[in-house]
Amino acid sequence: MTIAVRERNESAWLLTPRGGVDHRLRDDMRRFDDDDEVDLVVVGAGAGGSALTQRLARKGWRVVALDAGPFWDPEQDWVSDEAGSHQLYWTEPRQIGGSDPVPLGSNNSGRGVGGSMVHYAGYTPRFHPSDFSTFSTDGVGADWPIAYEDLKPYYEQMEAELPVAGQTWPWGDPHGYPYTPHPVGGNGELFLRGAERAGIEARVGPVAITNGRFGNRPHCIYRGFCLQGCKVNAKASPLITHLPDALAHGAEIRADSMVTRVEVDERTGRATGVHYVRDGRQRFQRARAVAIAGYSIETPRLLLNSASDRFPNGLCNDFDLVGRYLMVQGAPQTGGRFDAEVRMYKAPPPEVSTEEFYETDPSKPYKRGFSIQTVSPLPITWAEHIMAQGHWGADFRNYMSDYVHWACLGALCEFLPQPGNRVTLADEKDRNGMPVAHFSYSQCENDRQLVKAATAVMERILKAAGADEVVTIDRYAHLVGGARMANRPEDGVVDGECRSFAVPNLFITDGSVLPTQGSANPALTIMAVATRAADRLIAGPDAPRREDAAASVPARA
Amino acid sequence: MNGGERVPPGDVAPRFPGFDVLDQADHWDDATRSVVLSRVHALPPIRFFTPEEEAAATCLLDRLMGQDDDLDPHRIQLVRMVDGRLAERETDGWHYDSMPQDDQAWRDSLAGLDADARDRYGRSFAECGLEQQRELLSAIHGSDQERWHGMPPKQVWSLWTRYAATAFYSHPEAWNEIGFSGPAYPRGYKNRGVDKREPYEVPDARPSDDPVRGRRG
Ligand SMILES: Cc1cc2nc3c(=O)[nH]c(=O)nc-3n(C[C@H](O)[C@H](O)[C@H](O)COP(=O)(O)OP(=O)(O)OC[C@H]3O[C@@H](n4cnc5c(N)ncnc54)[C@H](O)[C@@H]3O)c2cc1C
Ligand code: SF4
Repeated sequence: MTIAVRERNESAWLLTPRGGVDHRLRDDMRRFDDDDEVDLVVVGAGAGGSALTQRLARKGWRVVALDAGPFWDPEQDWVSDEAGSHQLYWTEPRQIGGSDPVPLGSNNSGRGVGGSMVHYAGYTPRFHPSDFSTFSTDGVGADWPIAYEDLKPYYEQMEAELPVAGQTWPWGDPHGYPYTPHPVGGNGELFLRGAERAGIEARVGPVAITNGRFGNRPHCIYRGFCLQGCKVNAKASPLITHLPDALAHGAEIRADSMVTRVEVDERTGRATGVHYVRDGRQRFQRARAVAIAGYSIETPRLLLNSASDRFPNGLCNDFDLVGRYLMVQGAPQTGGRFDAEVRMYKAPPPEVSTEEFYETDPSKPYKRGFSIQTVSPLPITWAEHIMAQGHWGADFRNYMSDYVHWACLGALCEFLPQPGNRVTLADEKDRNGMPVAHFSYSQCENDRQLVKAATAVMERILKAAGADEVVTIDRYAHLVGGARMANRPEDGVVDGECRSFAVPNLFITDGSVLPTQGSANPALTIMAVATRAADRLIAGPDAPRREDAAASVPARA
Repeated sequence: MNGGERVPPGDVAPRFPGFDVLDQADHWDDATRSVVLSRVHALPPIRFFTPEEEAAATCLLDRLMGQDDDLDPHRIQLVRMVDGRLAERETDGWHYDSMPQDDQAWRDSLAGLDADARDRYGRSFAECGLEQQRELLSAIHGSDQERWHGMPPKQVWSLWTRYAATAFYSHPEAWNEIGFSGPAYPRGYKNRGVDKREPYEVPDARPSDDPVRGRRG
């Protein structure tokens, strides 16, 4: 199997023998001129943007990916420290509102090459087949223009390329994983024990953390700082899983380049390139096609900010859909207190999950469901947990001094897509003069019932494991949607192949296109959707017709 | 400096006697060591807060984190850590649409605290006694009013506590107090699982001292 992976994506073999990033690849990177009309300019080198870039570069497309943030060197730039990792997050200003505002920052999106996967936890479950037709089956949410079977081959490819470790998966479309599960730490051990006693099925994984030999990727050292960027390069992010191969095939990754506007020719109706700011200077990259992959907040923001005579309400916004149906999963966290020491920081936070409650249960008053996973917050995040209970002062410190005794589980509840949950442009501007995003969020009744039900199950598991006390706080996780795919332009911004309905050579290839979110963490699905879109592009009318396309840049062997 | 002396407020003895995470600093990578040690030894001077704001913020942060003994040699310099973040605009990247951006929200809320203190006790927040300060804070924490000096009190509380807790629990002294082993690269952890410890980790001296059930000794 590794042979097949290497033929498709050689990234793991392009790291240094000790598993670090190879600076020669970056130093020798091909560089395009702003005036070169590249085949594709990609906005954002995160989960979706990087996977797309790698696939097309391999087929000889001339691709530039612009990212607002830095081109990270994990060894130099990242630290094994919570507060010291703030630069990984998108910390440009954003406003939040609505009746249930969703805090962003460290808990939401990243900035820099690799995107949010640089600091994601590393869970990589698939969506279930039922996720693609919740409207017809359950009467809630939306139907996708594609089915699970359309994504399945891409799920398999991504699981092999990241690669994913975990037990055989009994839920959704049952499947195995290329690597065996990791050993678990205290938190995972208690989840497994509690679930077994409570009669709930739980499994170890699925995590995109290497377990065994895979190219030059090092083994996990179980140090628990996955959400601060994996210095070890054991945890997958596109920075190590897709971009080395993209560079070797002649893609350019242009870091520190903030795209402010997509240009569309009013006469032809086609996108001609993107305006961006680099080193304080306004620049314009010409391109035959544009793909936006800036995350569910920045993608709608960029579209809305690219208004023109033809698109007075924002690019691709003829039907007032841009920014709408943004979703976030309800992610209550329940801590359980044990007299024994759990020391949950000694393992990657992603260890064990259950998807037993994922689907609609006809005996329940709510639709759809939730999954439950280990989360293992480090002290600062745990302190927020405790302060949210209302503790402060000496009482709070005393509570915190008990940290080593706590296990912590998190749920992911499938909150439903609603038109009023959306990104708009605020009056406030960023330092480039671009209006910042305003994100409004309000829950519906079904959402609240899911949180209650998920909390009850987490408490049951922890008590069954022997916890004498449990406490829960309400949180959110994972934003997707905001430029969803659909069968018709009246229902979505892009079609099932990620091509915008309004501009034939404009694509959106990130989490924004998801019409529903299931109770799975989204990164694997985002990459699957983006690589499927890449295959369609390669086979479609936009493929470069140059004689030499496939041979334009030979791979560095 | 011995971490073993780190005693939670109101407690008589440390929970992790003799544990000092800085003893392991030689095993950390360079980038991490320099970030962590700069919090201990090289905090920049105050740049953002005015002297009045600095005085109020010092007391506010210390009350929130229960650092009630001004003479405690282990007192963490919270105000300098928060000041540094605001001076460098190192925000969380979001703010409630009903609040100004973080830097302005800090100025406005500290002015609000001083105004409350003057109203109620005829002096600035910093000049109030510990109990008076705690009373003023309790009133904001428990408030069910829509606005407090023009801002939703819940969101003000969230702003203060987020900055305070991030500063406090980024400090090795605080890790000593809670038995957290801090950075672990490149060494990693070898002994994972319930009741397992690395050789340098210290067991909790009072494992049944459960804050939820109440102190059992
Ligand atoms: C703490 C945390 C834990 C998570 N854990 C998990 C997990 O365990 N499993 C999982 O599946 N998912 C997890 N996620 C979510 C996951 O990381 C994201 O859903 C996913 O990375 C989103 O992919 P994307 O392609 O939409 O955007 P991103 O990966 O965020 O990429 C967007 C990129 O675009 C760049 N960009 C944005 N705007 C512009 C612009 N105008 N110009 C240039 N560049 C721009 C950004 O710098 C960024 O690099 C987690 C997220 C967080 C924050
Ligand atoms: S626990 Fe493993 S995967 Fe997570 S950051 Fe550490 S080495 Fe990387």
